[in-house]
Amino acid sequence: MNLDSSRSAGSSAQKSKRSFNSSSSNRSNTTNSKKQKNTTNQKTLGAAWGSNSLSSSRSSFRNSPFSEFGSYMAEKNKKLHNQFNAQASNSSSGGSNSEFAIFRGVSIFVDGFTVPSSQELRGYMLKYGGRYENYFSRHRVTHIICSNLPNSKLKNLRSFSGGLPIVKPSWVLDSVAANKLLSWVPYQLEQLADNQPRLSAFFALKTLSISGDAFLVKHEDECTSSKGGQEEDDNSSEVGKSTEYKHQSCGGSDGNTREEVHSLIEQSSRASGCSFDVKIEDKEDESIVKDDDQTSPCARSASVGGSCLDNQDTKSLPSPVAVGSSESHSTLKDPNFVENYFKNSRLHFIGTWRNRYRKRFPNQSNGLKHVNPNPNSSAEKMTIIHVDMDCFFVSVVIRRHPELKDKPVAVCHSDSPKGTAEISSANYPARDYGVRAGLFVRDAKALCPHIVIVPYNFEAYEEVADQFYNILHKHCKTVQAVSCDEAFLDVTNLEGEDPEHLASTIRKEIFETTGCTASAGIAGNMLLARLATRNAKPEGQFHISPEKVDDYLHQLPIKALPGIGRVLEEKLKQKNVQTCGQLRIISKKDSLEKDYGAKTGEMLWNYSRGIDNRLVGMIQESKSIGAEVNWGVRFKDPKDSQSFLSSLCKEVSLRLQGCGVQGRTFTLKIKKRRKDAEEPAKYMGCGDCENLSHSLTVPVATDAVEVLQRITKQLFGVFNIDVKEIRGIGLQVSKLENADPLKQGSGKNSLKSWLKSTSASSEEQRNRTVPKKAIVDCGSLRNDSIPGRSCEEIPVITNSVGNNPSSDEPSLNSNSAPPPLSHLDFGVIGSLPPEIFSELNKIYGGKLVDFVAKSKSKGKMKEGEGLLFENLVHPDKITKEDKVKQHDDVQVMPSDEGYHNLAIPAVGLEKPDLMPSSLSQVDTSVLQQLPQELRVNIIEQLSAHRKPGFSANSSLGPSSKHTQDSLENINSENRLESTDSASNYKLWVGNPPKWVDEFSKSNCVILNVLAKMYYKSGSPGNLSSILRYTILESQHLLDVGYESWNEALDRFSEVLKQYVKLKIELDLEELYICFQLLRRFMSKSNFLLHVYDNVFPYLQASVNESYGGNLHLPFG
Amino acid sequence: MDRKDNQSPHDGSARILVEFLEVAITSIVFLKGVYPSGAFERRRYMNLVVQRARHPDLRDYIHSAVFGLLPFIEKGLVERVAVIFFNTDNIPVERFMFKLAVNQASSSKVEDADLEFSLRSFLMKLSVSEPLTKVLSHDCRWEITGYFRSLPEASSSKTSELWIPTDTKQWQQPPLITPIKSMSSEPLCVQLYLEHPSLNEPKP
Repeated sequence: MNLDSSRSAGSSAQKSKRSFNSSSSNRSNTTNSKKQKNTTNQKTLGAAWGSNSLSSSRSSFRNSPFSEFGSYMAEKNKKLHNQFNAQASNSSSGGSNSEFAIFRGVSIFVDGFTVPSSQELRGYMLKYGGRYENYFSRHRVTHIICSNLPNSKLKNLRSFSGGLPIVKPSWVLDSVAANKLLSWVPYQLEQLADNQPRLSAFFALKTLSISGDAFLVKHEDECTSSKGGQEEDDNSSEVGKSTEYKHQSCGGSDGNTREEVHSLIEQSSRASGCSFDVKIEDKEDESIVKDDDQTSPCARSASVGGSCLDNQDTKSLPSPVAVGSSESHSTLKDPNFVENYFKNSRLHFIGTWRNRYRKRFPNQSNGLKHVNPNPNSSAEKMTIIHVDMDCFFVSVVIRRHPELKDKPVAVCHSDSPKGTAEISSANYPARDYGVRAGLFVRDAKALCPHIVIVPYNFEAYEEVADQFYNILHKHCKTVQAVSCDEAFLDVTNLEGEDPEHLASTIRKEIFETTGCTASAGIAGNMLLARLATRNAKPEGQFHISPEKVDDYLHQLPIKALPGIGRVLEEKLKQKNVQTCGQLRIISKKDSLEKDYGAKTGEMLWNYSRGIDNRLVGMIQESKSIGAEVNWGVRFKDPKDSQSFLSSLCKEVSLRLQGCGVQGRTFTLKIKKRRKDAEEPAKYMGCGDCENLSHSLTVPVATDAVEVLQRITKQLFGVFNIDVKEIRGIGLQVSKLENADPLKQGSGKNSLKSWLKSTSASSEEQRNRTVPKKAIVDCGSLRNDSIPGRSCEEIPVITNSVGNNPSSDEPSLNSNSAPPPLSHLDFGVIGSLPPEIFSELNKIYGGKLVDFVAKSKSKGKMKEGEGLLFENLVHPDKITKEDKVKQHDDVQVMPSDEGYHNLAIPAVGLEKPDLMPSSLSQVDTSVLQQLPQELRVNIIEQLSAHRKPGFSANSSLGPSSKHTQDSLENINSENRLESTDSASNYKLWVGNPPKWVDEFSKSNCVILNVLAKMYYKSGSPGNLSSILRYTILESQHLLDVGYESWNEALDRFSEVLKQYVKLKIELDLEELYICFQLLRRFMSKSNFLLHVYDNVFPYLQASVNESYGGNLHLPFG
Repeated sequence: MDRKDNQSPHDGSARILVEFLEVAITSIVFLKGVYPSGAFERRRYMNLVVQRARHPDLRDYIHSAVFGLLPFIEKGLVERVAVIFFNTDNIPVERFMFKLAVNQASSSKVEDADLEFSLRSFLMKLSVSEPLTKVLSHDCRWEITGYFRSLPEASSSKTSELWIPTDTKQWQQPPLITPIKSMSSEPLCVQLYLEHPSLNEPKP
């Protein structure tokens, strides 16, 4: 890239000094200073480049004009330093003294765009005794400051940074703020830093994270990964003791206790190096129970709760959350916040239920189509059963505890003493006390002091829900899942069976299997069945027969109807409508539709008459998929919000993939704290918020995380709000399209299913990621001198998945039928790992090595200017490589792999041995059929041999005659080609042009060089680039006196004149550049001066003839 | 700048050329600062940021001028298109010359994509060639002039009547030429160069 840009710049910019430095061998340095041009103006641009080439050329170009650039740069740097010093002394005299020189000894180089800007950073450096370097130098710079690094620099980090620390600008700011030099380590650029969370961080977070789940799992992982467990007992007992001890000492402040227990665990885990067995977890549970003891006003219920917890499998049991003394649950502290959030969200569980369900019963939707072909014919006498579990979320948790059955129990994610958590579900005894969902725990306890608060148990929910649906499907084919605990059954076709009897059978079976009760409503349509269930609850069933419908509805309060919320209820109330009977008085559908809108009006009219035309099993395709978090969202700075967004995107992407859909419209919703809103009563809640949203539609549907992240970032940028004000963020994807299953087959899903069991729902996948992370952390645990080797393997597996397909493919291909060598992409082959390469090479019978070598040398020919100076004196290695291959081709040597492998690196040494054998046997007819570049290389080589003394290794007399022969053959052919073209510029006819051959044959070094440069310059035929290279590479050669000086002058002038003739009509620019070059360097070279003087009048005459003016050459 | 969809493939490159001229001339006028920069708006052409005149009259002048050339360019009659900046005495101060050479005989057809790619480089080069140009006085004027190889017959088309002989004076001495960009892709060749009055041009 670097090369290209410099080349194109060179050909287009007349005044570009850049082009002269295109030989810079230090790529990164070049790009480096390119960055620098942001801060320097145009004039210094060329100089910056000059400084780079300096490093590579200082030694070899002592007496070349480039020392000019070098000395210029040195001069400039000196000047900049002086300026800096002057300013520094000014600013220090203006108040800040030496005690503020916190950056003493620090010298920064700012790379690229930073916030604050490089100038501000410079200001800080000035003020606080540091140094600021405008140009990167390994020796002067101590820290590189940048906010972002391009991939190329990351890959080639050492050559970019020279091993110097690369630090974010905030290091400078924070150091200034702290008024001392802080360690740069925490400020290392994230791209470079080890992104794995440290174990210590993990512990610190997990001890306070929402559920103890991850913590426990983690410990277990450590258990499995630990090898030596000798110290286990000691440890655990020790820890146990100290836990006890802490308990006693801490007394009532349970929150602290728990925290300290964890910190203890953490400490001992670090100290011992191996992990604990379940004992410690038991201890932990006990301590939790004790916590409960102390916090809960009702000791009895708490102990029951404790036992219930203890009885359950420790792994699946989320231990009740202890006190959130700090904002540990918020996005602030927890890097896995989003993950944990959704893992602990009941709404999320319900929301993702349907996908899970559909996966479990995929035949269901198909089966429907068979059952429902005649829905209309049977419409008059449909029978629907609505089954709903009784207070599902509570009863599942307490199903194994019959003693709790009649006690008031509520489910809540947290039972903190603050009591600001919301109850999500309460059982009937609790409801009798007025405890409802959505109530704060604190209020619930006020209503019912002995209420038992239990945490969610999502695994149990899943288990029970699965059982529930298994039973339903056993009895009826037409099942529509509404939620995890609620479903409609269409039993119309089950003739001969009494629906009431069926309902009671189902209910009984549910109770026997799950231990939870269910209620059922039976009616002629879904609406009525659902309403009937209301009456049936709890633990009952209710049948609304068609004749009873009217009576039933007459008394029914309207708000019982689905779809009628508070607002609509209020509106109807104003019209004195409170029951369905009253609603039915409004007999005209039109007036309802007019007042409440077409859809709502129709719905009201229908529902109030008990009409519901929906069919069981009509699963509505979800119109949008998204995820929203509006609890615990607190950001400190934009970085937090970005990482939060990206994990939210991951979540959404998982959900999309889980549903097998892709979306086109992306809506980002943000809850922004209202200006005057106070911290909400609910802990970490969102409080009073403004809801903002922006959306974006893209042309191609996607579910890719990266795309989502990019879009979300963009959308988030649109809001332009203070991240501290954000209380909730939601991302929703709509305009869903089905992801092509075929595509998916080869896509990520199949990969995923490789790794994970196929049944894994997104929920499970998420759960899985937690142990995995823990394991990764164990890996880093090792760094803390704790053995945990076996666990390293798992991250490796994930890596290898990425690699597998790519490395497999080529080998697969070649196994079946290797493509011809010419079809191979060198870029791919070249970057293959050596093992695979050697395997491939075997398949191709060793020819692959040749192929690669050939392509490599070709590539080098095009871009290998860096070596050119050397090349000029010694025939270059590249040529040699070609040569080697050449010999094989020409002489039909037995191809020997070992030989090739050795030969290529060794050619440089073997040159003399190879030459004679080949020269004597070169067959010109073969030579002529070679690609042009190769042929020219050989000719070049040969011509070099022809002239003793030119090259270092020209001791090869015997073959020169052959060489000449072959050359002449080639030349004669070229001549043949060119006879038919115009004689005016005959020297420029042919490819390569005739003069090139002529010059390479010439006795004059200058002309040889020119001919050589023709090939180096790459772009064939452009004299300007040839000249540029010539001047650049071999300028000192040009003035070496030769007896053939005059001849050379004449020949070259002639070439130039013919070039003028050739280009005058069509490419004045090219001539302009050529003569600019000549003119610029004729002061350095007598030869060029003479050439210029010879040709310039001719040029002006030509220009005048064609353009009616004189060429204006301002330079010189 | 507006690409017509229903163009025949034959005149495709001519049309691209004319389009390019319109953009390039606008760029030149912008570059020279004849009008306040507010009179232009940024647009994207060939994936480059270019300027476009906002004033309808200015836009129309440039557009109609170059599109009036289209039939002649197709016939290969146009040799040069000049943007001439001159002072109040009608004496040119600076001339931007587009030299066109269309090889009618050539059978090879230029690929539109290639042509666009080549023309892009003009616009890029143009945007950085301000230092080559001269500072204009405030009361300068400018015009687009087409140089024809031969005068078209008056009846050849209506549009030819829109072209009138210019009364801009010529320089006495051969001007100084500064090439800006040349491009040659068979059969079309375009060159852009600057002309300034020669140093020994008699001052009025």
